[in-house]
Amino acid sequence: MNPSGTHWFETNPLWFKTAVFYEIYLRGFYDGNGDGSGDFRGLTEKLDYLQWLGIDVIWLLPMYASPLRDGGYDISDFYTVHPDYGTIDDVQAFVDAAHERGIRVIADLVMNHTSSDHHWFQESRSSPDNPKRNWYVWSDTYERYQEARIIFTDTETSNWTWDEEAGAYYWHRFFSHQPDLNYDEPAVQEAMLDVLRFWCDIGLDGFRLDAVPYLYEREGTNCENLPETHAFLKRVRKTIDEEYPDKVLLAEANQWPEDVVEYFGDGDECHMAFHFPVMPRMFMSLRREEATPIYEILERTPDIPETCQWGLFLRNHDELTLEMVTDEERDYMYAEYAKDPRMKLNVGIRRRLAPLLDNGRDEIELLHAILFSLPGSPVLYYGDEIAMGDNVYLGDRDGVRTPMQWTGDRNGGFSRADFAQLYAPPLMDPVYGFQAVNVEAQLRTPTSQLRWLRRFIALRKEHPVFGLGTYEPLAPSNPKIFAHIRRFEDDIALCVHNLARSAQAVELDLSAYEGRTPVEMLGRTAFPRIGELPYLLTLAPRGFFWFLLEDRDGDGG
Amino acid sequence: MATEADLVRSIDADALAEWVVDQRWFASKARDVTIGLLEVLVLDERPPLGLALVEARFAAGTHDLYQLLVGPGDFEALTSTPQVQALARLLTREARVQGQHGTIAFHWTGERLQAPAVRLLGAEQSNTSIVIDDSAVLKVFRRLEPGDNPELEMLRFLTNHGFDHVPALMGWYALEGELLDATLGVAQEFVHDGHDGWERTLDLLSTEPDRALEDLAELGGVVGRMHSVLGSDITDVDFAPDDPGEEGLALLTATIDEEVERVFLDLPEDLEAVAPIMGRGEEIRDRLQLMSHVVTGGKLIRHHGDLHLGQTLRTGGTDPRWYIIDFEGEPARPLLERRRKRSPLRDVAGMLRSFAYAASASRILRGREAPEGWEAEARARFLDGYITEVDAALLPAGDAGIRQLLAIYELEKAVYELRYELNHRPDWVAIPVAGIARLLEEPLT
Repeated sequence: MNPSGTHWFETNPLWFKTAVFYEIYLRGFYDGNGDGSGDFRGLTEKLDYLQWLGIDVIWLLPMYASPLRDGGYDISDFYTVHPDYGTIDDVQAFVDAAHERGIRVIADLVMNHTSSDHHWFQESRSSPDNPKRNWYVWSDTYERYQEARIIFTDTETSNWTWDEEAGAYYWHRFFSHQPDLNYDEPAVQEAMLDVLRFWCDIGLDGFRLDAVPYLYEREGTNCENLPETHAFLKRVRKTIDEEYPDKVLLAEANQWPEDVVEYFGDGDECHMAFHFPVMPRMFMSLRREEATPIYEILERTPDIPETCQWGLFLRNHDELTLEMVTDEERDYMYAEYAKDPRMKLNVGIRRRLAPLLDNGRDEIELLHAILFSLPGSPVLYYGDEIAMGDNVYLGDRDGVRTPMQWTGDRNGGFSRADFAQLYAPPLMDPVYGFQAVNVEAQLRTPTSQLRWLRRFIALRKEHPVFGLGTYEPLAPSNPKIFAHIRRFEDDIALCVHNLARSAQAVELDLSAYEGRTPVEMLGRTAFPRIGELPYLLTLAPRGFFWFLLEDRDGDGG
Repeated sequence: MATEADLVRSIDADALAEWVVDQRWFASKARDVTIGLLEVLVLDERPPLGLALVEARFAAGTHDLYQLLVGPGDFEALTSTPQVQALARLLTREARVQGQHGTIAFHWTGERLQAPAVRLLGAEQSNTSIVIDDSAVLKVFRRLEPGDNPELEMLRFLTNHGFDHVPALMGWYALEGELLDATLGVAQEFVHDGHDGWERTLDLLSTEPDRALEDLAELGGVVGRMHSVLGSDITDVDFAPDDPGEEGLALLTATIDEEVERVFLDLPEDLEAVAPIMGRGEEIRDRLQLMSHVVTGGKLIRHHGDLHLGQTLRTGGTDPRWYIIDFEGEPARPLLERRRKRSPLRDVAGMLRSFAYAASASRILRGREAPEGWEAEARARFLDGYITEVDAALLPAGDAGIRQLLAIYELEKAVYELRYELNHRPDWVAIPVAGIARLLEEPLT
């Protein structure tokens, strides 16, 4: 048996390129022990559901010991899990059970900083002579690294905070309770590599590396994306490759694509990185009923090494971030998608997918189709498969982290605890509440969004072209149509999406494929053969077609 | 001296490709497939014997993997006695062969054999079997998937737990490779005088149909005991019974519902045999919904996965005995799905469907009508025997729950059969059609 616990998988270093990811907020998924909070035992019980849905990878938000002052991104011990979620044994049982179902597991890992509760920090602050003193960034003055911006402008006034006990300032790019680790200290590098090893030994298939641009500080720079940071990430990659094959490192760097590609290196740094800017543009295209924003951002996206992949998503556990758009575009997005000011948070909109799209089934399906057709691996967010809603009256981002709605029963089937014990109230409004929107009801309804999405995931997985193929935009003269070709080995897929609220006709130049027959992928219906003339298609409002261009005569095209 | 390079060189790639796609065990019907030799591990040098991993690569870029045993210029060494002997020798000596791309480990519980007598037993849908020294059958799996083959897991569990209606596990061999870990073959006790349960039932149907019924009642008891054993060990995580979970049944019916929808989309309109269910797809789906509301309780356990009369042996003589064989599960389903715990009634449903096939096959294959009401009687007798022996905690609460869950699984099976017969044996389409039609006529509880 190979050492990384992938006994149930074929070795394939590029597995992540054809995978469908599913992001889970553990606290909100399923409560296995009846204490009002989701946990690993609960999640393990729901693996059959996830296997049925067809997803390949579960991405877990941080589950480590933490005072939870930043949603668990403030880790106080990398080697234990938060007691609300269970024990290391529970994690082990969960990972094994997931693997047995053909599902891999990756988890968030914060490398940049720890919680100030972490014993490393406690030791470090205790005395200038402590062996761990140099594990954090201490200074007698707050005047160093003045060019680094302050990220959480709402709460922090400086990246330096005075520590009475240490008698010195410490450096933090995020909250003042999250001191940055000092990667100039070799022992810190080793300690973090050991953390990665520990979780790889348990069987995790990779990590989403949170806040990676900030590992190092250098005077005279903005302390982001420094060469030293890339060098260390390359070392992480090399270590993982040598000791644990078939793992994935997914970088979170909310930057423009031309900057993010640095995190792929020459295929020797991170395997994946999120493509942040494409996401708001899908929403923009939908409102404006024109494909230009999507075409433009993809045009602006550089090629990446063949062994790398973009992570693509519609929504996630954070606000819908609007950092990677122009001011004008941001105003437009706020006006269209955040009509209530409560819906805004930081530089973004804190709403779930279905409410953003006014619960429009056609719109939800269309955006999934576009997402699934783009070059990259789609990342779904728990609850969006049943069109769950949000609760803007909960603070921060908690509104998009309400309990998963399993049934129409008490607490939405999420927990057997008393209602008052729940970490957050489940949605109970007439449109999105658990009595109207839940897994059980949608399982029983053949036409439900859940059943549709399952078929759609299965379709995508039958065709590696969507993960591995080329992207060739078609630029039809009708600007309301987003059409492109994907190609891999002998599979040629034609994807045509109508962004308009009205039916549209479009003529596509498919002369390069003359003689081939478009076969619609969901229903396997053959369309007229491609001839010399432009190919005419008509699409329903917000409709889409995916075709395989088949060579039915065997004479090419 | 045979090296990997020698063996690879000796094999004609075009001939190999042509041969592979013609084999019964070749699972794909796809048109565009490229066959390639991925690697060969040298198992023995005198005679030269290699284990080849063969890749069938499809147009979309996906692939399947197969095991071949090869000799110089020969991609089917299983038909050559010296090579099969070499394989048997490696097995009984518990050899461990280290190749460039992985290790093959042989395991054996019996005594070492220096020059075992061997003979080819036959090729099935998923494997080729050979008899070793007239005491063991080695089943060589063809299509390889990562992980433990359920046949190995099931035989090991049942043998260790003293269930003596399976031929005991005697050995296996497995690959621990760069590309994958996989069970390559499983050896078990050879049942002398074991008659195929399907053939034997057809024989008896022509001569002594009542005796067939008695034997099936006994078989019901054997299957019931087997399920009790399979659901008895909570310390083994791979076999511990699970609760169905809140949406377990909904997941099952949603899956079957989609299979029903798909098969009805593809139903040929000009085929007389499908007339009884033509246009009734929606009716079946509604029925499925209604049935699924009645069922509560029961357990999910590891089970046979593809149980029918053809997976049984009946010995003759003064102390006749049933054996259950072939624990791989339905070959068309992926390994991870075949390992899944489900209600034991899934096996029961498979067996009941098999009685419908037997009754019809008697006419189609033997030209003799089964006695009026034989299938209904066979069902009743088998179920009586089963319910008497099985641990009741494994089944849903109450008769109605059992009947409905059984009907759901029978529907799943009949839909699977319908698709298979439409593709392979149009003459047999009437059998699953009758099964589906009957489920529609049954009163709901």
